[in-house]
Amino acid sequence: MADDRLLHQRIVGGDEGALAEMYDRFAALVFGLAVRVTRDRVIAEDITQDVFVTFWEKPLAFDPGRGTLRAWLGTVAHRRAVDHVRSEERRKVSVLGPRVFERAPVMEDDVLEADEADRVRLAVARLPDGLREAIELAYYRGRTYRQVAEDLGLPEGTAKSRIRLGLRKLADALTEGDA
Amino acid sequence: MTDVERLYRDALGEVAPMRSPALLEAARARRRPAVAARPWIAPYAGRIAAMDALLAQADDWTQVIVEGWTLHELIAHLAAKDGLVARAVGAPVLGPPVERDDALERTASLQEFELARSPQETRRAWRDQADALCAHLADVDPETVADAMGTPIPVRDHLLGRMLETWIHTDDAATFNGVRLPHPVPEHIHPTADFCARLIPWTMLLSGLDRSDRAVRITLTGPGGGDWHVPLDAAHPAVPYRGEASDAAITADVVEFCFLLGGRGTPAFHAEGDPGLVEEVIAAAPALSGP
Repeated sequence: MADDRLLHQRIVGGDEGALAEMYDRFAALVFGLAVRVTRDRVIAEDITQDVFVTFWEKPLAFDPGRGTLRAWLGTVAHRRAVDHVRSEERRKVSVLGPRVFERAPVMEDDVLEADEADRVRLAVARLPDGLREAIELAYYRGRTYRQVAEDLGLPEGTAKSRIRLGLRKLADALTEGDA
Repeated sequence: MTDVERLYRDALGEVAPMRSPALLEAARARRRPAVAARPWIAPYAGRIAAMDALLAQADDWTQVIVEGWTLHELIAHLAAKDGLVARAVGAPVLGPPVERDDALERTASLQEFELARSPQETRRAWRDQADALCAHLADVDPETVADAMGTPIPVRDHLLGRMLETWIHTDDAATFNGVRLPHPVPEHIHPTADFCARLIPWTMLLSGLDRSDRAVRITLTGPGGGDWHVPLDAAHPAVPYRGEASDAAITADVVEFCFLLGGRGTPAFHAEGDPGLVEEVIAAAPALSGP
């Protein structure tokens, strides 16, 4: 993409503003991949920073002629996360003995494996009723904020904040270590 | 995307870490950003940062890259010439004292000095010299004439010369390492191309060709390009093309044209008008290149 090229040119040329832009554009993607693999928010935050700082340090490792920035960052994030999980596994093996466990190599970054989708559904089911209803309407029934508000007899602002709070609680549930 | 996938993405989006000052701090510690500089200094500062990016991943400093020099010697050479420009404008000059304002002599003595140190020390010294020059120039009028290496020209042009040479040598080293170097941003290419267009009459003179009664139009395509009217008379510098009459017109890619002046190949160009004159201009163009 032309956008990728210019961003890359600016980063090679030492433009910090370009690093900030790249982070704002791709941090959620990188973090999302890292947290899916590690299931640990703090670790995923560390990996996220490390991916961008490494890109800044050695930007010539990326070649925009060979793929998109999005794919590149996704691949690096995934590799870092898997490396982390493997070294954790090794550590646990040495203490507790071997464990029959190998995460499936992901990743189409937007596609969830069946067991991951089940975890999300379960986490929704465990939300407090008020938040769960708002989330279900918004995501399972495709209702807009306004429709969710009407369905629940709430002001639109309240419906919106319930959905956001629900999303945060879900994220908490899905990222509190290896549950 | 399914409902659940969208939900999952949005949930993680809510807790994705926001950009913090710690990010830029950590980044700066690994590779220095370009010196925040005035627009006329930025093309040079940008190429320094790009060479630094190449050095960040160069693991072999001992193979010969160009001019019979290793990467280690090449960086010392760049530092030597940056230092002579620094000296001419009263900026700090790092390394051993300069004996004479001569590029090859200074290169030789700095290479000897740097080869006794580690590549990372040389990288730091080269970068410190460039950054010191940029910092000093922040308060200098770009039109100030500075006499460095026997060439009394405005400091703006000295710096564009340093930009071009740093760019070319970064590309040399990148090619050697199998790395594709991205172009500078268009705002940095344009003043460099303008500088190259203004050098054309000098390359003709240096090649023993007095064509001061002739003129060519040079159209450079691609981001950062432009259109120049170039009298082949050193007393009348190239100007942006405004419909002036010329004896020939040359159209080429802007980056390839800059590299032609830097002695790195001949662009695939399109020409109209006097073919003999076109041939002379193209053949003479690299005359100022070389270490």
